[in-house]
Amino acid sequence: MVKKASAFEIFNHWVLAGSFFVLTASGYAFLFQLEQVGSVFGGFNQMKVIHNWAGVVFSVSLFLTIFHYLPVALRFGSDDISWIIKGGGYLSKKVTVPPQDELNAGQKLYYIVVLVSGIAIAASGLVIWLRPDIADVRKWVLISHLLHNVSFDLMVVAIPVHMYLATLANPGTFRIMVYGTVPVSWARKRHAKWVQRMGF
Amino acid sequence: MSIANRKSLLISPELCIGCRGCQTACKSWNQLPGQKTKNTGTVQNPPDLLPNTFNIIRYVEMPSEKDAMRWLFVSRRCMHCGDAGCMKICPAPGALYRTKEGAVAYNKEKCIACKLCVAGCPFDVPRYDEKGKVAKCHLCFDRIAEGLAPACAKTCPTGAIRYGERDALLGEAKKAGYAKVYGEMELEGLGALYAFKDAPKVYGMDEKPAVPESVVFWHKVLKPLAYIGVGGAVAASLLHYVAIGPKKDEEGKKDE
Repeated sequence: MVKKASAFEIFNHWVLAGSFFVLTASGYAFLFQLEQVGSVFGGFNQMKVIHNWAGVVFSVSLFLTIFHYLPVALRFGSDDISWIIKGGGYLSKKVTVPPQDELNAGQKLYYIVVLVSGIAIAASGLVIWLRPDIADVRKWVLISHLLHNVSFDLMVVAIPVHMYLATLANPGTFRIMVYGTVPVSWARKRHAKWVQRMGF
Repeated sequence: MSIANRKSLLISPELCIGCRGCQTACKSWNQLPGQKTKNTGTVQNPPDLLPNTFNIIRYVEMPSEKDAMRWLFVSRRCMHCGDAGCMKICPAPGALYRTKEGAVAYNKEKCIACKLCVAGCPFDVPRYDEKGKVAKCHLCFDRIAEGLAPACAKTCPTGAIRYGERDALLGEAKKAGYAKVYGEMELEGLGALYAFKDAPKVYGMDEKPAVPESVVFWHKVLKPLAYIGVGGAVAASLLHYVAIGPKKDEEGKKDE
């Protein structure tokens, strides 16, 4: 077994996932005025308080992921381009992809999407919540409302796909976020450049 | 809602004498406190709507060659839009609601003080009390439910504010010589109709009031996408699992 994720990385991931779940459930409840979901949260007034503070937790957790993933995600090369062109090897049973780094090209792209939309949803959420006392506040609330909902739509597509690819689609992956370790033979097949660099 | 059965206000600025009985009657009925104001060089007071001031008379000076002393008194309040931007954007069920007479009323207990409604309003009407809850003209929903007229209409000495059946009021305005009534068709019909002699902008009103485009886009496109998107992602994942399946690690299959 080789170590692929630290204990803090695992903990932070589940804090992010947990807060995302709370935010999405309450988000849908606000979007469609879902009274049943509202009553689970103890009413819409309380749900708003929970939504806002879960947003704070989400934002801090997202910020901390930068230290785990951003440097790797920004290292884009020809192997990554080739991975993308080949659809990551997911579109056919026969395609093979070039050797990948600690995160494959798809994971890098996914992280960038989550980081950007996460920052957008957090910043816009903050404007709606705090409502700064400026002259054209209504314009900024409208821009924030739009940005908040565009980011929401992006994330509710990206995260289910992430959950599928991290479990059913790639056996041996989910254990990274439970035990933090993977067999070195598994890592050699999926993240060959990382194995080489680490000298496992 | 069925536009013909709606009750409405008909506001005629040309009949208004600026007595502001409407401002006072509204405060009296709704038990709203007075507002400490200061002289800003105009009789328009307070300068704009407030959490404790649901309607004001705007004082619009329009001197021209024809009439050097023309000034207009224009009532400003909630327009009770047929297509209400406040209701559209509101995330809390029952916080803003339509009464059977067609008014846009509110329930402060259900309001979550998010303050999105004023951003959705084409007329910048909703205000917020000390708890952040919405406060605006509710067409005296409790009076009209009992068949009474709103306090402002009841008190108006000149008939500049009248309350009644929408179709009847429209008919009377047209008979009085107003070819076009502001609010007849705008925003699926405004609950507050205005009889303007001149163009709306002369009275300080938007020629083409509309719910902000971003709110319309959100309502028509982004909202359905929230369900279609997540449903599509889940469906695509299931389809992929069935059609192509997981990446297994046997030699000669999917990995190099």
